[in-house]
Amino acid sequence: MLTQFFGSYLLNNKIVSSKNLCEALEAKDKTRVKLGVLAINAGYMTAKQVDAVHKKQTTVDKRIGDIAVEMGYLTEAQVDELLGTQKTGCLLLGQALVDMGCLTNEEFEAVLKSYKEDNNITDADFSKEDNQKTESVISSFYKLKGDYAEYCREYVSILFKNFIRFIGDDFTPLESAECDPSQCAVVQEICGDFCAVTSISADDRACVAFASRFAEEELTENDDYTKDVISEFLNLSNGLYNVNISETMGKELGLTPQEAATAADIEAIKAKKVLKIPVEFTFGKVVFTLAVI
Amino acid sequence: MTTDVTKAKILVCDDSMMVRKKMRKLLTEYGFTEIYEAENGEKAVEKFVELNPDMIFMDIVMPGLTGIEALKIIKTNSPEAAVIMATSVGTEGNLSEAIKLGASDFLQKPIDGEQLFKLLDNYFKKEA
Repeated sequence: MLTQFFGSYLLNNKIVSSKNLCEALEAKDKTRVKLGVLAINAGYMTAKQVDAVHKKQTTVDKRIGDIAVEMGYLTEAQVDELLGTQKTGCLLLGQALVDMGCLTNEEFEAVLKSYKEDNNITDADFSKEDNQKTESVISSFYKLKGDYAEYCREYVSILFKNFIRFIGDDFTPLESAECDPSQCAVVQEICGDFCAVTSISADDRACVAFASRFAEEELTENDDYTKDVISEFLNLSNGLYNVNISETMGKELGLTPQEAATAADIEAIKAKKVLKIPVEFTFGKVVFTLAVI
Repeated sequence: MTTDVTKAKILVCDDSMMVRKKMRKLLTEYGFTEIYEAENGEKAVEKFVELNPDMIFMDIVMPGLTGIEALKIIKTNSPEAAVIMATSVGTEGNLSEAIKLGASDFLQKPIDGEQLFKLLDNYFKKEA
């Protein structure tokens, strides 16, 4: 999940465009993380040194690792260690952006360093998906504090885990998103000690793509079946949220049946607190809402 | 209830078309030929009376009569009915209520083939 928030960081700091980020997210699964990016991430080499090694490689027929050792930037033990490093999503995304020419090694070095520092993230945090670091990144990104902060943070955490599990990891959390008030939506209420109206809303294209992935079928139009699939995703994600809250906080929450609505209906909900969770998938924008009532 | 897959009648009650479609596919793959569907609790009770199925898969969150309410009606009228709760809201509260009302088993959504087949193996025999 830290990978997806790294994408947000790149976007919000205007380091890459939304289009390039989507392309990199699509490309990352086929990307091979090169030694240079691994060395930058580990802090063993600077971007300038990596560039110097790459330049040298154009003149000699040797592997990058061997050249880096020859130039005194790495030891052989460090090369072995780097090659055995887990290729986290964050590094794959960074490498894809470097390969596409959207980032130089130097820019990647700087942004990775500032992302880690701003969020107090270590390499070990990148390797573990379910950790407190993710929770703190979620709280900081959505500025969650005070009443309901824990419920909201858990909601985002479960939702994003469900994206990764059922839809795909090619998404970026957005700070805000405009949506057409007439676009279709599904709402479902969570009720109990904590009451909230949850919703999902997207344009027709994104609905079809989202539903196709969840149903593992090739759907072509935003018809009743597609809407049913979207609705079931919301029900499943909310159900898993309730199970999680029951297990971790000992609170029993219920769910009402899902209902069709529009984005305008969601805007009109009178709530104590509204958490908008817009995400950009490579196929389009999907907006989730948690309105605490 | 028959334990013969080829003769057993299965009723799937879920308000989601996608879930019913997926369940039908998996149950067919397991070897069942008589699979029936209901999209809410009321329809499930109606179909139960009409078909007397050997097993019912029951969702909980549905419009109108919920799965828990439908379970209660079915078990009151037919205590021997095998009702499997298949839901995303497998909270302690829902599970204990369903068990108290006589549910035979529970499946946490999303339902995958392995999980479903393992459960079915406890109730049915396939031909050698």
